[in-house]
Amino acid sequence: METVGAIETGSYGTAKLNYLNNGSTLKSWLLTKDHKRIAIMYLISVSVFFLMGGLYAATIRLELLTPASDLLETGTYNKVFTQHGILMVFFFLIPSIPAVLGNFLIPIMIGAKDLALPRINLLSLYIYWLGGAITLWALMQGGVDTGWTFYTPYSTTFSNTYVLAVGVGIFINGFSSILTGVNFLVTIHTMRAPGMTWFRLPLFVWAHYAVSLIFVLGTPVVAITLLLVAIERVAHVGIFDPALGGDPILFQHMFWFYSHPAVYIMVLPGMGIVSELIANFARKRIFGYEFVAFSSIGLAVFGFLVWGHHMFVSGQSMYASLVFSFLTMVVAIPSAIKMFNWTATLYQGSISFDTPMLYGLAFMGLFLIGGFTGLYLGALGLNVHLTDTYFVIGHFHYVMVGGQVIAYLGGLHYWWPKMTGKMYSEFWGRVAAMLIFVGFNLTFFPQLILGYLGMPRRYAAYPPEMQVLNIFSSAGASVLGVGLTMPVFYFIHSLIKGKPAPDNPWLLPGLEWRTSSPPPTENFDKPPVVTWEVYDFSDESGLDIEAAKREAAAVNA
Amino acid sequence: MSAHSHSDKFVYHEPGLQHQFDDMGQQEESVSLGMWLFLAQEIMFFGGLFTAYLVMRSKYPLAFASGSNHLDAFLGGANTLVLIVSSLTMALTVYYAQKGNRNMQVGLIVLTMLFGLTFLGIKAYEYTDKYNHGLVPMAGLNRRVKADAPVAEHVGLVLPGETAVSASEAKPGAEPYVNPHGEFQWREYELVQHMMDKQRAEPNGHYLTLNEQLTYSTSPGSLILDKDKFRDKVRIFFYIYFVMTGLHALHMIIGLGIMTWLLWMAYKSTFNAEYFSPVEMSGLYWHFVDIVWIFLFPLLYLLGRHYEHLGL
Amino acid sequence: MAEQTTEHHNPHVEVPNEHIGIPGYLGVFTVLVVGTILTYYVALMDLDWIFPGANTLVALGIAFTKMTVVGLFFMHVRWSPRLVWMSAVGAFFWLSIMFAYTMQDYLTRGTGFFGH
Repeated sequence: METVGAIETGSYGTAKLNYLNNGSTLKSWLLTKDHKRIAIMYLISVSVFFLMGGLYAATIRLELLTPASDLLETGTYNKVFTQHGILMVFFFLIPSIPAVLGNFLIPIMIGAKDLALPRINLLSLYIYWLGGAITLWALMQGGVDTGWTFYTPYSTTFSNTYVLAVGVGIFINGFSSILTGVNFLVTIHTMRAPGMTWFRLPLFVWAHYAVSLIFVLGTPVVAITLLLVAIERVAHVGIFDPALGGDPILFQHMFWFYSHPAVYIMVLPGMGIVSELIANFARKRIFGYEFVAFSSIGLAVFGFLVWGHHMFVSGQSMYASLVFSFLTMVVAIPSAIKMFNWTATLYQGSISFDTPMLYGLAFMGLFLIGGFTGLYLGALGLNVHLTDTYFVIGHFHYVMVGGQVIAYLGGLHYWWPKMTGKMYSEFWGRVAAMLIFVGFNLTFFPQLILGYLGMPRRYAAYPPEMQVLNIFSSAGASVLGVGLTMPVFYFIHSLIKGKPAPDNPWLLPGLEWRTSSPPPTENFDKPPVVTWEVYDFSDESGLDIEAAKREAAAVNA
Repeated sequence: MSAHSHSDKFVYHEPGLQHQFDDMGQQEESVSLGMWLFLAQEIMFFGGLFTAYLVMRSKYPLAFASGSNHLDAFLGGANTLVLIVSSLTMALTVYYAQKGNRNMQVGLIVLTMLFGLTFLGIKAYEYTDKYNHGLVPMAGLNRRVKADAPVAEHVGLVLPGETAVSASEAKPGAEPYVNPHGEFQWREYELVQHMMDKQRAEPNGHYLTLNEQLTYSTSPGSLILDKDKFRDKVRIFFYIYFVMTGLHALHMIIGLGIMTWLLWMAYKSTFNAEYFSPVEMSGLYWHFVDIVWIFLFPLLYLLGRHYEHLGL
Repeated sequence: MAEQTTEHHNPHVEVPNEHIGIPGYLGVFTVLVVGTILTYYVALMDLDWIFPGANTLVALGIAFTKMTVVGLFFMHVRWSPRLVWMSAVGAFFWLSIMFAYTMQDYLTRGTGFFGH
């Protein structure tokens, strides 16, 4: 650190000072205020939770190979699917893209040195760890069996598992999301580089703006709801327990007020990434930029108006169901705007099928199915038939895994060279992407059919007639598992033996490609001034493509 | 330029400017926006509780009114005034911080903290009162009084609905105050009984909501008061009262922590016309906590006062 | 919106340091004290003859006034950038969404206000 002046810059193969080698002690990581280092620590943390959630998923699919509940007894099965849901939703899906890729990229994309509130950013990581630690402790003590939705009065009165500890863990973890949201909103408002106007922001940033709104306005409500559940469990008062005069539907209102918008937390950032991938790998300005940008905000706002569609059969008034059903149909509009505009962007683009783009295209197909099945579920009459069946499971896995996880992987591959300064194996990347796509569909499409045939969710046993489709699903899950494991190996391999990445491996005009790979601690060697439009692939972007090509060739040589 | 991050430390433009900002204006704008978004978050956080309050009160308005009449409206009102004064001293602290007047800042921060402590003191007194009278909605958290306890233990325990100093002599024929397990206690049913009678006499009247007619009755529609069922609803009121005021008090305690830090900073003459945003941000938080109380006071303390003319 | 990015490069000179001065603060304080006393005495009157729950509506009206005064003057929203207005008003708007959409269920149930 003291020999800074001696380090050469600009030539590859020498130790240029960047955020990764700027300090190597444990303290320099744990007390860092650098958004990029915090993002890397988030990356490692969410990967651990994803792995654990994945192991639970594998257990579920193993159990469902046979119609009887022979691998797990039913009580254990309840715990396994609950913990799969809790770890995946609260500790992987929600922080995945915002806290890892958003954290890393938003300041770079808008040309800032860091997030506006770096200490708050570090605090949010520690809160995430604290919440995660408490939850993991509770799982080790014996776990929880309420389902990730914590429906009352089962969670407040009857379940004798570790509801309280898990509730506290999620309550604490919520503040990590809130602080991240506050930080992003402030940063996007006040830290943009000169010339970086609102309509020059990459769509990834717009999507995170929308997500941050949900973080700030939604998360506190679920926090207070879980607090009320925890107190009710301890004090045995009946605000949610009907036996004591309470109202279980009140819990559902308060829970879904956050948790439905949270569904958009689990897909909006993915849409942001896909907008980047589609435009950049078709090398074409995205069709209807403003519409795509505002549809993100529209999804965030409308997402708050439709929570009642989770409660069609739970005793809410028919009038309310009618209103919520109608508004649910309205949400399809901003989603459709995005789909149509991505498709129009691809039209006559010069598309290259690099690994990230494979994920981008996979997202479009899978989200299409996820979105349409959502309309089935939002329709009042059909919903009565499909509520709490595997159709619901299939639907939201198409949105969350087919949407968020696929986009997260796409984003990770897309920005991996920037984050680590290393190239991964393109061949294995494509193989993994194909395996994941095939495995995913094989896993979840049969579940849509099973649900339509009437297989209920959350049961360890099912009628023997349904075994064939369940075997398909479990077989698909193993393919999916192999596909998801492969990136771990080739990413780690790339860190050790990968080729060094050029600054701009995909020859793109975005601001993040105009700094070195990996970026210096303050992101840019000199503060950028933006003079070009976003997704401008013409010469006016000021990007010297020939120079970038030469550089890439020099690195490859 | 590779040494950017390090050399930058030595080219501060202004003291107190963090490295990620270009100038103080940008820093102030960011910090202020961050604080306001945090307050927006707080509004939704308390908002969840207010939703629970809204739903529960709309279901059981009379139980809420009965319960509310046993909070001390005078103390609640006094606490409102205490918080308003503390808001004034806080606003003046910001005013003098901008002027860089150290002595006024220190004095006003001390005053603000004193008012904050007064608020918490009155709150603690109220909580103790509820503890003594068996109005804490959680079993075991109330004062335990055995049936065969010496009379001295009963003295001073004014029961809900009773006005005398001694439980056993509170009202002719009243049972002695007995609460061996510290359970929630409720004995005042005059108001609801009165409304129930009127409703029975006039089935089309609006003395009780339809939901209340069903849920306070021994069997749905009987319009005969089931005291246990009514007590459970009053208990819900006290539950919401304790959660709301408890969370508010927690915010006050956090606020006092912030003020202690602020006092130290002001004592060291940190703030002046160029740099006073910590005072301003702490002030925003303090005023927000005050605003929450402005709503809590009428919504918790004053629900059934207009029934007092019934003389029940 | 391009102006906004460049705006923060010059400090906030346009914001006056003294907002309303000490007499102003005392005036706001008086409004708050009067409002509190008024809240208490109105609560003692039986307004149920207007419609059931009128008392609460009056109390809330006073509380909103008090909050507005605190926000505008003590919290300096009156002199703050538009974004501060938006986050303050926006949060209340969101809260009202939560109230409205929750209550549309309860009020239209069989036992609700519009249910029978």
